[in-house]
Amino acid sequence: MGKFLIRRATSSFIVLAMSVVMVFMSIRILPGDPVLAKLGAATEVTPAALKALREEAGLNRPLLVQLFSWINRALHGDLGVSYFSQFPVTRLVAERIPVTLELTFFIIVIAVVLSLILAPLSTLKPGSIVDRVIGYFTSTGLSVPGFVIGIIFILIFSLQLQWLPSRGYVPMSEGVAENLKLMILPSITGGLTATPYLVRYLRASMLEIKQSPFVRTAEGKGLSSARILFRHILPNSLVPTLTMLGLIVGYTLSGVVVIEYMFGLPGIGSLAIESSFKRDYVVIQGVALTIISFFILTTFLFDVLCGIVDPRLRLAKEQKSEV
Amino acid sequence: MKNALIVNNLTLSVPSSKGRVRVVDDVSFDIPAGTKVGLVGESGSGKSLTAYSLMRLIKDPVRIDKGEIFIGDREILGMSMKEFRHMRGNDISMIYQDPMSALNPIMRIGAQIIESIQLHSDVNHAQARKMAIEHLASVGIPEPDRRIDSYPFEMSGGMLQRVVIAIALSGEPKVLIADEATTALDVTTQDRVLTLIDKLAAERGLSVLLITHDLGVAAQFSDEIMVMYAGKLVERGSVNQIFSNPVHPYTKALLDSRCDYTIDVTKPINSIAGQPPRPDNRPEGCVFSPRCEHVQLQCREGVPPLISVQDRLAACFRADELYQVGMVH
Amino acid sequence: MKFKSRFSFSGFLILLILGICLAAPILSPYDPNAIGVADSFSGPTGSHWFGADDLGRDLLSRILYGGRITILIAMSATLIALIIGTLWGLTAGVRRGWVDEFLMRTADATMAIPQILFALVCISAVGASVISLPIVVGILLSPTTARMARSAVVTELSADYVVAAIASGTKRSRLIISEVMPNIAPQLLVQLSINAAAAVMLEATLSFIGLGIQPPNASWGTLMLQGYAKIWNTYWFVFFPAMAVTITILAFNAYGERIRVTMDSRRSSI
Repeated sequence: MGKFLIRRATSSFIVLAMSVVMVFMSIRILPGDPVLAKLGAATEVTPAALKALREEAGLNRPLLVQLFSWINRALHGDLGVSYFSQFPVTRLVAERIPVTLELTFFIIVIAVVLSLILAPLSTLKPGSIVDRVIGYFTSTGLSVPGFVIGIIFILIFSLQLQWLPSRGYVPMSEGVAENLKLMILPSITGGLTATPYLVRYLRASMLEIKQSPFVRTAEGKGLSSARILFRHILPNSLVPTLTMLGLIVGYTLSGVVVIEYMFGLPGIGSLAIESSFKRDYVVIQGVALTIISFFILTTFLFDVLCGIVDPRLRLAKEQKSEV
Repeated sequence: MKNALIVNNLTLSVPSSKGRVRVVDDVSFDIPAGTKVGLVGESGSGKSLTAYSLMRLIKDPVRIDKGEIFIGDREILGMSMKEFRHMRGNDISMIYQDPMSALNPIMRIGAQIIESIQLHSDVNHAQARKMAIEHLASVGIPEPDRRIDSYPFEMSGGMLQRVVIAIALSGEPKVLIADEATTALDVTTQDRVLTLIDKLAAERGLSVLLITHDLGVAAQFSDEIMVMYAGKLVERGSVNQIFSNPVHPYTKALLDSRCDYTIDVTKPINSIAGQPPRPDNRPEGCVFSPRCEHVQLQCREGVPPLISVQDRLAACFRADELYQVGMVH
Repeated sequence: MKFKSRFSFSGFLILLILGICLAAPILSPYDPNAIGVADSFSGPTGSHWFGADDLGRDLLSRILYGGRITILIAMSATLIALIIGTLWGLTAGVRRGWVDEFLMRTADATMAIPQILFALVCISAVGASVISLPIVVGILLSPTTARMARSAVVTELSADYVVAAIASGTKRSRLIISEVMPNIAPQLLVQLSINAAAAVMLEATLSFIGLGIQPPNASWGTLMLQGYAKIWNTYWFVFFPAMAVTITILAFNAYGERIRVTMDSRRSSI
């Protein structure tokens, strides 16, 4: 198990490093000047003043120097201070992360539960009405943008039925019921966005496994279809699906940004959007680092889970025994 | 002797560009209790499909068009699936060609045997585990109490096939079908597995249907041989009779085309001219007639039924005379 | 590569949408920016089929013109993704070795960045415009195309007839053009469709959160943003552009699926 973990960890780290560098560089290489944004178009800016400000922000140093200095400080927990509000970025992120985590958690739970219901139903009798209806739902779900789903829900549940509020957030510490009421719509929206992908993938995986010889053996033993589905087909389908789930999380994180903004949830997604408007590059960097790290960590964890579920992955080094 | 298995007029078909065509054509046979029958034929002869029908494992697009199958004295094709499931493993069992892919790769072999045991008898987990270890021992797996917790990929092909046999026999069926069960194994292991099946069959009074394309394996193992060609059963007899005096031209040609170290290397290998017909392209009359060296007019006009010729059954109009000719030599 | 001329509904739909948007100036009953206070907030009526917004601008016209912008951006992005992705994948697939490793790791890294976040970062730097959006979205969508192109090239190049051709001296570059490209063309077409759908979705999302096309220009996403603010009394501001976006994405996805299914059945009917 150890070797397996090390391999995966190294691989994840490389990807993390590359993507973070990419984000960092994009901000600096792309045309567009954060300093100008801060000053705004209103003031008359002399080139000298501009240069001074840039030096102050450290933007005049060579790129690699900037990169390493930032990484160095990040490793010490210092993500810089917001270019506009002078708040330490780390504090901003720490304040808002619980919201995002809560939302992501709910979304994933909803997506997984829905998929574990819909996909087996689909594979029980491929081609049946149930399967086809689920298929239509999946195709449509893939094509509807997340925020449209959110809009529809708001229209129905907040506007028409007046059952649920559409904006705002209350931390759990101030009231679990209030918190949940405000989280229902965003969570379901996110969940419904991610579910079609998961169902599709799980279904395809299960149908493929269904053709395997060992399923025939299981039938030959006299097991019922249900037992075969849940005890033999599903576990074998989970391994490739777990990898997919890791990707789904990444995709969800993308959607979470929009959902937070739509529903007025103060998480790091909406923080990213707000700072984009203001061109607050320091915050954007810090948020990007956080989100990407989180994503890669999750993918890594799912890889580990794969290793647990499929013994072949962990024990591949074992010697074959004699006849 | 009572019959463990009776098959009447079994016919299977698949869709083709010419509509549904038969891949197993009006096959009938019975297997007396305690007999070991080898079913031989080329790929595409319909032997595997016949076997799968016995377990009702036939899936679309293949369909059973007609026929009756009696296991013991119960007809299984007319039963509801729910009822028949009880019989799987309990009355009839099957072992397969590739043991590695026949087992769930992420489930310990012990769990897979226990699953079968608990399905067919009312025991708790601890008892089932004990029984599982006994079963593993009975198929010759060393250190069964350790091996029971292994995963399939940790074991070799020969061992896995023994496990598959253990699972198949755990419900104490009366009929065992072995579908090319030794084809994926090396020759030594093949021998060991066949010996094992032989032993177990004798101990438990099992009837075995061994499906194979390997004549040597069939000869070594079976009491009786059935030969299939292009979906039809063409000959049946005891193993000695068939090998010493094959009556049906196909059987004869098949035996003549064998290669072993005794053949004359200066002469060309005897192969049967032509190819077996595709299901959608079957000839009129006897299905072997295009390739038969004894073909006559009547062979192209009517389908020869399986008739009794002295000590065996053959589907040939000229069976009698061919039998006499063979006896003389 | 000729496909059976059986009618493809999704293909037809795509052409219809493209056609309608192209013909916007002819089809729209009003000038999309014409303000008519008298009609403001009217729901779908005879004179305003999709209703009018708070400034009395006809929504149908705005949707037609907005479609032009959305489709334009999406198509450009798709094209850019196709070009970059194919070159990316082809280079990796042909060169192999560390070039391949590096290029594919970069693709992995790009895919590891959640899409909206990446777009956020880039847009916040360069600003949103009809030029920047396609480039950013195009770059975002290129890794998947690159992956697909690479694996297709690797598979094709290892085909027996290609190996034989190389062994007998044919230049690889010639082979790529004459043999490999035609064979991966259908897969590229599927990718093109899927990317188009994704591009429309991304553009709409970005504009919806305000990081896309800015007013007074309006793509479908921008229309939805404006509509969202007024959602309480006048749901149709949001509803119609949302429908337009969804149907367009559906059409592209369906078309891509259809090609893929046709391709698969072709392959297995040998």
